[in-house]
Amino acid sequence: MLERALFGIRPLWFVIFAALTLFLGWHASQVRPEASFVKMIPTNHPFIQNYFEHQDDLRSLGNVVRIVVATEEGDIFTPEFLKTLRSVTDEATFIPGVDRSAIKSLWTPNVRWSEVTEEGFVGGPVVPDTWDDNNPEESLEQFRTNTLRSGEVGNLVATNFKSAIVYVPLIETNPETGEPLDYQEFSEQLETQIRDKYSSDTISIHMTGFAKIIGDLIEGAQQVGLFFLLAIIITLVMLFWYSRCWRSSIAVLACSIIAVIWQLGIIKLIGSGINPYSMLVPFLVFAIGVSHGVQIINAISNNTVDGHDKLKAAQLAFRGLYIAGLTALISDAIGFTTLMVIDIAVIQELAIAASIGVAVVVLTNLGLLPIIMSYVGISPRGQTYTASVRNEAHPMLAFFGRFSQPKYAYTALILAVVGLSWGAYYGQQMKIGDLDAGAPELRPDSRYNLDNQFVVDNYSSSTDIFVVMAETAPSQCIAYDNLELMDRFSWHMENTPGVQDVKSIVYVAKMGGFGLNEGNLKWFSLNRNQYVLNANTSRTPPGLINPDCSMAPIIIYLNDHKAETLKTVVASVNEFNQNYQQEGLELLMAAGNSGIEAATNSVIEDAQYEMLLWVYGVVVVLCLITFRSIRTVACIVLPLALTTVMSQGLMAVLGIGVKVATLPVIALGVGIGVDYGIYIYTKMKEGLEQGMNLNDCYRYALENTGKAVGFTGLTLAIGVATWIFSPIKFQADMGILLTFMFLWNMLGALILIPALARLFSKLGKPMH
Amino acid sequence: MRRTIVGLGISCALTLLTVPVAAQMVTDYEVITAPALVAPKAERAVLTEIAVAGERLIAVGDYGLILTREQNSSDWIQANVPTSVLFTGVSFANAQRGWAVGHHGVIVATSDGGLTWQRQLDGFQFIELQQNYWGNLVEELESAIDASDDEAEIEELEWALENATFQAENADFAAEEGPTKPFLDVLALDANTVLVAGAYGTLLRSDDGGASWNLLDANVENPDGYHFNGLANGSEYLFLAGEAGQIFRSADRGDSWEVLDSPYYGSFFGLHVDQSDRLWVAGLRGNIFMSDDQGETYTQIRLEDTVNINSIVDAANGGVYLVGNAGVVGYVDEQGEVEQRTHSSGAILTDLTINQDGSLTLVGQRGVLSLESFDTASVEQE
Repeated sequence: MLERALFGIRPLWFVIFAALTLFLGWHASQVRPEASFVKMIPTNHPFIQNYFEHQDDLRSLGNVVRIVVATEEGDIFTPEFLKTLRSVTDEATFIPGVDRSAIKSLWTPNVRWSEVTEEGFVGGPVVPDTWDDNNPEESLEQFRTNTLRSGEVGNLVATNFKSAIVYVPLIETNPETGEPLDYQEFSEQLETQIRDKYSSDTISIHMTGFAKIIGDLIEGAQQVGLFFLLAIIITLVMLFWYSRCWRSSIAVLACSIIAVIWQLGIIKLIGSGINPYSMLVPFLVFAIGVSHGVQIINAISNNTVDGHDKLKAAQLAFRGLYIAGLTALISDAIGFTTLMVIDIAVIQELAIAASIGVAVVVLTNLGLLPIIMSYVGISPRGQTYTASVRNEAHPMLAFFGRFSQPKYAYTALILAVVGLSWGAYYGQQMKIGDLDAGAPELRPDSRYNLDNQFVVDNYSSSTDIFVVMAETAPSQCIAYDNLELMDRFSWHMENTPGVQDVKSIVYVAKMGGFGLNEGNLKWFSLNRNQYVLNANTSRTPPGLINPDCSMAPIIIYLNDHKAETLKTVVASVNEFNQNYQQEGLELLMAAGNSGIEAATNSVIEDAQYEMLLWVYGVVVVLCLITFRSIRTVACIVLPLALTTVMSQGLMAVLGIGVKVATLPVIALGVGIGVDYGIYIYTKMKEGLEQGMNLNDCYRYALENTGKAVGFTGLTLAIGVATWIFSPIKFQADMGILLTFMFLWNMLGALILIPALARLFSKLGKPMH
Repeated sequence: MRRTIVGLGISCALTLLTVPVAAQMVTDYEVITAPALVAPKAERAVLTEIAVAGERLIAVGDYGLILTREQNSSDWIQANVPTSVLFTGVSFANAQRGWAVGHHGVIVATSDGGLTWQRQLDGFQFIELQQNYWGNLVEELESAIDASDDEAEIEELEWALENATFQAENADFAAEEGPTKPFLDVLALDANTVLVAGAYGTLLRSDDGGASWNLLDANVENPDGYHFNGLANGSEYLFLAGEAGQIFRSADRGDSWEVLDSPYYGSFFGLHVDQSDRLWVAGLRGNIFMSDDQGETYTQIRLEDTVNINSIVDAANGGVYLVGNAGVVGYVDEQGEVEQRTHSSGAILTDLTINQDGSLTLVGQRGVLSLESFDTASVEQE
């Protein structure tokens, strides 16, 4: 019936598909890569809830770009360098999105030196009043003196005096238009108006900050478009090599691309976007489309060689394949949906996008492709090739065919156990979270991370920040009792392994005591007199208390953001909260990049096993329903488990952590990997029912699906392997792991299923 | 898979193990009575003074930190201290007996050379002490005024009464607010006699090794209640210096104080009597003065930088070392020749001591720092 509906009104379907493709294509063209911070974090985790509650108050703390102007020769106190620094400061001031009033460098009037005198404080801007562009040499010494006493060495000036920072706070919403800051555009302007313009033989520019990470991330993501092109070209070559027919190769390719267009269009329509994680989906959809398309054209060309006309060949192919194809695709889709258990929006978006994509493939490659083929048919050259290879024993057939024989089966199984042990052994060293320094989204040797390393090396600030929010009643954030316990907490945290430094309003209050008592360090303490405390905190920089003084962030600078470090810090905060309680003061975790990563890690750590349980649960149930035999399920699932365990070992060895990007990979790998097993075992079962022995069964299965399984594994692997070259670290990690899983699952299915079947038949004999 | 799950179980168990079991929940945190946290980073905290007791160095500072180091060792050991206030001064009478003072009116004492410490006074007791002292003084002055019939004497007594009444009211107010006056320096004269100087003209003495403390505020002429920042002991006199260029000396172990003519009107932080019985005072903006006549006349000494000078310590060969803000370390030899170095950290330096090899151990904003010797005399000898 389905067949009649499809082939009965072919021209109408053609028009419908074309119209839909145009419509969705138009929407797909509107899709822009986005990198939403909120979507990458587990929004329901208590840490994140606390963070959201105080997000506005914490904003001024974080969103800053640091532009480092470094000199290659001498130090910064030369007329040339200082003039360049001034130009960079001026240039940065006028880039849209910059908070002009808060920008800081040695040239801005808000950067001052101060000194205690007998009469009190004296001070002034670091730029000497006497500065004269025509005669700068005169004022250089004064510039140096002012810089030294400004307290900015280590902050705005490198400790080796070979570079200086322009500190650029951003406004996230344009006050004139109300539009959010376009990070990509901002980042680009930094590149063209600052880096390109001022870099020279003697001056180098380094830039760090969240806006720059996002900008680089989106820029990197756009390169993925090139990878897609690459994947298409390689796939086309392989399709042609497989079929020797341009018509069918291009038809498969076109249908698969249409599937991608539809998927993107639908995503846009349902208001979802594409992020650097879900960018994987078009590749998967394309690859799945191609692998199912291959089966269709394979069947069509067999039918054509058998003497059927174009239409009949396509109809027969559809009839023979739609049930198997539907089953496989449905199991893929269910595999993807298990990702929904992870409470992180990018992963859920990826799951939705992948499920939509698979549904679309059903329409394009099981529906549209046969219709197209019924018009164009297989080229004579393709027919000749199909006819010629049909009767030939393929060398692959001979190779894989051996594994149902006891000798090869047991060797393979022993090797599998070795592989399993290897994976299990190294898998224990698998880490949660990101392991590299700097911005883990980007490669360790990316320009951003090199810039970041430059700042870390030359300035006294870590970029791994864990923020604890000290919540009080309004106007109580600097009450003595609260500050005193916050001070205890700060010291407790500073002595926690992995913590470099702790800064908060408490430090400001103590420094205030020092400053207002003539620069005498013996006054570096809190005072019970509230008026004294108010005076001591009157020069609090923005961000360290909120406007109604009900929250003060305690900023904990960490050595790194390794999962163990974060765990230690979280445990240490919990320990303090268990030991000290004070009415009116709550120390809440967590904000800052490391605080959020700690939350993400904990969600991922929990979800890791939950997700595996779901994926394997679904696969086992699906296989049980299909084959109604525990042994069969074991034959299909055990090779998958081997791949999972080995990929964990691989992750440990390659230093890839379990994180937002790599967690879905396991589900994708298992979800798609099970297809191979299903195809092969379906055919083996057919053979068994015809009364064949195990060796013949497997040979029969290989003849019918072996080639398709091999080809599918290869196309899938090629689709994702191009990602290995992505400038975005996590995309590369995803690429490596998926390529490994797709290939290894394919090999596992072709080698271990017959071997396991052999083993079980031996074990099973006494039972009969 | 199972192995990884087992691994997870183990890591969970380890996490549980690291949570201390016997900790008691604190609901009314008080910095005076909270024992100092055991701190691996103690050497990096703010430290204010360093003293020598026998073969041992004792440094004190923030968070109730008292660190000890044997002269021949390089390891600092954190002492057991029953408070978490910022210590501002430490002084030893001999190798065993010593005192440390700090904020919130805290005085602690040791009798084992700095390894363990006991609290002798806290701010709440100190306020009571002040209430009694000023209250008694008010009564004494009132009856003295009643008893006197000398106009001039009465006028003077009334002036003193006004001040004492004001101080008594202040003490009553402090009883509600809590301790706010820090002690700023301590000087142990012998195993029983200790003097403590502090903010707003506080001067305390104990003659029984800290069992009881007596206020001496009214014995020093300090009508504006300026801070007392430093104490020093010479062959003839005790010296006391502080805010607004004040210098006093006492020939009777602190009972009475004589106001000295000051060479400077800004604050002094460092006060020292050197091995040749010369008096050194130093303070704001690099103002350093030396007197070789018990504080009668002064010679000014200048370093390159004009930063606060916080402490002066004897060097070998009759010279002195000085440390100050912005990492400044100065050396003045016996003839008055000056040399200045700046510690690369640029940190505020508050005190120093000279090691057996001539190198310097500095304390201050960044904790314990070190600097190689640069007193030219000893370098040349080597």
